[in-house]
Amino acid sequence: MKHIILNVVVFIFFSLMLIQAAELDKRAPDFTLQDYNGKTYKLSDFKGKYVVLEWINFGCPFVQKHYNSGNMQTLQKKYTENGVIWLSICSSAEGKQGYYTAKELANIAKEQGVNSTAYLIDESGEVGKLYDAKTTPHMYIINPKGNLIYAGAIDDVRSTNVEDVKTAKNYVSSVLNDCLAGKMVESAATTPYGCSVKYK
Amino acid sequence: MTSKQNGLIIFSLITLFLIPYSLFAQWDQQESHVDAQLLSEVKIVQPGGSFWVAVQLQMQDGWHTYWRNPGDSGLETTIDWELPEGFSASEINWPYPERIAEPPMVIYGYHDTIYLLTKISVNKDVAADQSVFLKAKISWLECEAVCIPGGAEIEVGLEVKNERMQINEKYTEIFANAHALLPIGSDGWKLQAVIEKNSLLIQAEAPTWFTGKPQKILFFPYSTNFINNVAEQTLSEQNRQFQLKIELAKMKPQIPDTIKGILVSESGWRGEGSEHAMEVIIPVSENLSSSAGIPLSGLNSVWLALLFSFLGGIILNLMPCVLPVLSIKIMGFVNQAHEERNKSWQHGMVFTLGVLVSFWVLAGVLLILKAGGAHLGWGFQLQSPAFLIVLSSFMFLFGLSMFGVFEIGTSLTAVGGKTQGKSGFGGSFISGITATIVATPCTAPFMGSALGFALTQPAWVSLMVFTFIGLGMSAPYVILTSIPAMLKFVPKPGRWMESMKQFMGFLLVATVVWLLWVLGIQAGSNVVVLVLFALLVTSIGGWIYGRWGHLAMPVRTRVISTTVAAILIIGANAYALANVEVYAVNSAQITQSNEGINWESYSEEAVQQAKLSGKPVFIDFTAAWCLSCQVNEKVAFSSEEVQNKFKELNIRTFKADWTSHDETITKALAGYGRNSVPLYVLYSGKEGSEPQLLPEIITPGIILDALKSLEYK
Repeated sequence: MKHIILNVVVFIFFSLMLIQAAELDKRAPDFTLQDYNGKTYKLSDFKGKYVVLEWINFGCPFVQKHYNSGNMQTLQKKYTENGVIWLSICSSAEGKQGYYTAKELANIAKEQGVNSTAYLIDESGEVGKLYDAKTTPHMYIINPKGNLIYAGAIDDVRSTNVEDVKTAKNYVSSVLNDCLAGKMVESAATTPYGCSVKYK
Repeated sequence: MTSKQNGLIIFSLITLFLIPYSLFAQWDQQESHVDAQLLSEVKIVQPGGSFWVAVQLQMQDGWHTYWRNPGDSGLETTIDWELPEGFSASEINWPYPERIAEPPMVIYGYHDTIYLLTKISVNKDVAADQSVFLKAKISWLECEAVCIPGGAEIEVGLEVKNERMQINEKYTEIFANAHALLPIGSDGWKLQAVIEKNSLLIQAEAPTWFTGKPQKILFFPYSTNFINNVAEQTLSEQNRQFQLKIELAKMKPQIPDTIKGILVSESGWRGEGSEHAMEVIIPVSENLSSSAGIPLSGLNSVWLALLFSFLGGIILNLMPCVLPVLSIKIMGFVNQAHEERNKSWQHGMVFTLGVLVSFWVLAGVLLILKAGGAHLGWGFQLQSPAFLIVLSSFMFLFGLSMFGVFEIGTSLTAVGGKTQGKSGFGGSFISGITATIVATPCTAPFMGSALGFALTQPAWVSLMVFTFIGLGMSAPYVILTSIPAMLKFVPKPGRWMESMKQFMGFLLVATVVWLLWVLGIQAGSNVVVLVLFALLVTSIGGWIYGRWGHLAMPVRTRVISTTVAAILIIGANAYALANVEVYAVNSAQITQSNEGINWESYSEEAVQQAKLSGKPVFIDFTAAWCLSCQVNEKVAFSSEEVQNKFKELNIRTFKADWTSHDETITKALAGYGRNSVPLYVLYSGKEGSEPQLLPEIITPGIILDALKSLEYK
């Protein structure tokens, strides 16, 4: 009897996970994560606001391209000043590239001048898998209703070359600009590029 | 402690503290795990020519780089060329990738060493007698657990001269192997693609020459965000078709109008051990019903094969070896038409039965031998000296009968004691068998590929194909005999029939001469003399039978003469058959070097070696009994222009003589998807991998065109 109950519970759990997986134009799956200071952030708390999810791994050259050029920090500053919530999420497992202790992270954030709302630690990779995050960077935009409206690459030049940032068309800012200007925005997906997320 | 020292310590401490965090300058100094080199296929290039270069990427253990579509993460390798004026580079020709699983992702890339091939074309106006450098800036992403962007600027030097391009022998093998990893074209494959719900269905139907079995097939698309790279691709098979079901990407897949990518099969797309990758370009069909039509179109191809078998059978009647039989039969109809008109359709049926029974016997023998593992092709009968001897004396006797030395139909009636009403039915049946037997040498070149197809099919399809050839062959007689009105157009019997009959006798004797020539090549001239002697005795037997065995003679005389004739004919042929081995000369001793082309005799090793040496290789698969082969050789290879071109291009020429049964050659033919001769194969030498198969009927023009393609490679 115990077994049956356990099986049913496991089954329901997995079914829920399947239902929850991120999909365009659907409710973005909720999650709760902590930043390196131990502060808890819950996605559903930001209902009514645009939310950007940025998968991050400071060891990855594709991420470095956007931080060394100052591109990512500029975007973070510009949009958070306009009321957008910007959550950088690191799904690197402990011991893998991109995993840092809280102390190390505090230093990196300072050194890099990170302007995101929060840098969240997802060492179990659960949230990453929920959103099917494949690369770093991998960008998601959630509208005030809580629906996913964009998933994919940060821009259209697949490279690690810092120079390319100037000429690339930035998908995240074009979606956000339209949203903030009150235009109708059709949901979109592009192919993300970058390092693989260093899951467990 | 001085303040200076203090400062130093503080500085050191700060530096130490900072090192782990100054990540952003780190990868620039990281050692690369990939070594890049630029290799050129040639040392000397000629203005107006083109050649291959390869970017060699050597990856350390565990590290990988990416294919043109990197999959779920990563970045494709790029090459930026810096070429001298007048030089241009093609796109990268990518070897097929590995599917590398990095749960929960899948990427497409390479481990170990790979060669990215690029074709460089040199403009005609480029000045000769200069040294040039081809420079390439390569960028890649190398990944193990972590990813590091890598890059290299590499170059290779070449001489431009107004002379034939000179191959760099050092790299011949590398280039040959690299080419073998490129996807081949999908010529002959019937491909369809359909989007159904969340999946892409790719359906491929094998060409008739394909005898392999595709295994563990994977589709790699050129475009990203199209398929779900992680999901398993499922393969289903039915007859000669297979269907691959591929899940689409989860988020808004971008479905192109035309599916482009490669299919990789573990077993090879041109038979076992051949190229593993095939490039496919398939327009997406909107019609979902086509995917449900697998069994139907499989059946269609069988129907089509049967239709062609039927048509082929009809055309067979016009072949030189069948024509005499045809005319005998027509004359038979003429007789019947004017004597027993209403019985004539029955003769047509009996003739058909004779044809069918002998085709079934042939098909049965072939299938049994095939099941026993023998490598046989159509026309194999003519590889047996015994068969040739029996066929010669059979044809010769037939010829004698045409000349009027003896009568066949009447005698059979007499021997069989048949009633008058059934007169000639035995004759009709036997002429059906005869027609099939004499037709076989003609079917070999004419219907080789159709019969080759038949033999790769399940037994019942093979039997159906043979049946339809037989039906086609006898169709004209059946029509002629079933519609009495048609016979009105046949002239009345008379003297012309006798003349015609005798003339056809000469055709049969000519066939005997040809058969003996084949035999001579197989077994030498002594055997031919032996058989000629047997034929002499056979003719005496025929004469005795004709002179004293006909119905006008008393029964006693008839029995004695028939017995004597039988003893002479059977005895002479039996003697010849029994002594073939004694008189036969090993065929290997006879090598031809006619036609001004230096033919080497075929062996797998010799050809392999010639291919590796970088020289172009031409292989002529032929047999003495194959008429089209002989015609081709006379027409095409005797042309002086062709001979000169062969010499000029320094082509190694091999003759694979299939006159006698030869397992190696049978296997080699199968390797090209054939089981009959003629077959002409041209290897360009430099590219190494993909041979060019020339048509079965060749002219000097066709050969010259084919050779032209070599000149600038």
